[in-house]
Amino acid sequence: MTKQSSAREIALDVLLEVQEEGRPSHVVLKQALDKYRYLEKQDRAFVTRLAEGTLEYELQLDEILNRYSKIKVSKMKPLIRALLRMSVYQLLYMERVPDPAVCNEAVGLARKRRFEGLSGFVNGVLRTISRKKEDIAFSEPWLAYSIPEWMLSMWEHTYGKETAKQIAASFLEGRPLTVRCNESLAPVSHIRGELEAQGIAARSHPFGEGLLELSGYDAPDGIGEFANGHVAIQDPASALVGRIASPTAGSFVLDVCAAPGGKALHAADLLAGTGMVEARDLTEYKVSLIEENRARCGFLNLRTALWDAVKFDPELLERADIVLADLPCSGLGIIGKKPDIKRRIQETDLAELAALQRQILKTVWQYVRPGGLLLYSTCTISRQENEDNAAWIAETLPFEKRALGPLLPECIRGKAKENCLQLLPGREPCDGFFIAAFTRKRI
Amino acid sequence: MAIRQIRIIGDEILSKECKPVREMNGRTRELIADMFDTMYDGNGCGLAAPQVGIRKQIVVMDIDDGNRYVMINPTVLKQSGTQTGPEGCLSVPGKNGEVTRANYVKVKALNENMEEYTLEGEGLLARCILHECDHLEGKLYVEKVEGELYDVEPEEE
Repeated sequence: MTKQSSAREIALDVLLEVQEEGRPSHVVLKQALDKYRYLEKQDRAFVTRLAEGTLEYELQLDEILNRYSKIKVSKMKPLIRALLRMSVYQLLYMERVPDPAVCNEAVGLARKRRFEGLSGFVNGVLRTISRKKEDIAFSEPWLAYSIPEWMLSMWEHTYGKETAKQIAASFLEGRPLTVRCNESLAPVSHIRGELEAQGIAARSHPFGEGLLELSGYDAPDGIGEFANGHVAIQDPASALVGRIASPTAGSFVLDVCAAPGGKALHAADLLAGTGMVEARDLTEYKVSLIEENRARCGFLNLRTALWDAVKFDPELLERADIVLADLPCSGLGIIGKKPDIKRRIQETDLAELAALQRQILKTVWQYVRPGGLLLYSTCTISRQENEDNAAWIAETLPFEKRALGPLLPECIRGKAKENCLQLLPGREPCDGFFIAAFTRKRI
Repeated sequence: MAIRQIRIIGDEILSKECKPVREMNGRTRELIADMFDTMYDGNGCGLAAPQVGIRKQIVVMDIDDGNRYVMINPTVLKQSGTQTGPEGCLSVPGKNGEVTRANYVKVKALNENMEEYTLEGEGLLARCILHECDHLEGKLYVEKVEGELYDVEPEEE
């Protein structure tokens, strides 16, 4: 008979794939939870917490391991490295797991994975850290918040020390799931009633009554109002794009990099059955994600297409009333949701991504009709990708800046700088996000 | 250490009844040692001799409870209760399925030195004992699966 993997072993395999093979954590974790359907709800929560927590604290955990292990983290066997990281995370941050259990489970896993010879080493390192954990302290803020040093200092430079700390700290805090009501399908009051009937508490978000923070649900798939398309999962920051776009009835909206489709769905909802939204993305997989969401909401005024945004499509020349350009970015604003971004993105990537964004912008602006709207957005916090590219659009392309202030919820109106808005997690109650709005000149 | 080749579903030997072991000898000892190696290598918690192509009533088990069990010529004495849960088999690679089995079982068997002992198991141990004893009668868990078998191999994006 084969062994069923324990929650810890599943988390270990998730970490190996993310940390050693560089695959995205949210994808790997979802696949693992789909694969091990037999896990109880509490075990699923344990796997998620352990894998995500270990990724969030990776830099700090490595520092601790390097202090107390005679073999440096970089020299360890991959399996032992992942095992020790996740075990130290449990010692430090999962108070309900007793330390001896952490050590024993780690030793058992080392044996099971045929590192019998290293089980003594694993045990020794973990018991030492368990004994000394009260003394562990970090003088460097980047270690305390477990964020790459260059990232923190970049934000310190732009926003000051306090705000930079706030941003970094926000990534380590849990935040409620936010959904946006599809108000063309059901009134917010009805949706709230249905959620409450299912035992799910819903609180309106400061950015709008139709944005609800949920608590008391098991898995998003189990929420009835999600399954029937009445709500879509979307961060309040990203929902601002739709609010700013405010397409008038009958408009044609083009989303050039749409997956998983949050903004495109929002636009289709705002059009309330009129007009058309075309949601494009690069791969069939990504398009299938948009399709899945479209099908759930049943929007007939949303269609998908497989298209590489870098390539010009003459069919669309000056066709769109609104172009949504939410482009591939470093994702530094959503580290709280995808902690592996901390390990994946290097400082030098920012310039490369900014260049890619410009390359796409050079193509997609041509789809905007004269007088139409171009919304450039990213989920990152980096000047090169955000403000610098926004300035570049205004300088090089035939667009005028469109002031954002009047279009925003009152609580963040003051944060807009002309046509640009940078939202910072920890300072604002949402993801780190950037939006810039432009109107195409009428020649 | 020798890892033997695991016979896969469809192989005739998996559907044959196994013969009792009459005496312990060097070859059988070696077989048992190899069966443990093969089981650990395949990440199993139990393995029966027909799974490595030998029609003998020999089972090895390790369910991580600190014991390495060897059952020779086992007989189930008592079963009670039920448990339903996922099960997999090294001879049915990459698959799992829901199986209902007794939650408690008592067996009589011989150990490696051909001494008789009784073993009681609950939960996982009971499941594993019954799964392995089925092998010795030429039965696979797939006959007992409720619903469909499902994949447990990692999927690619």
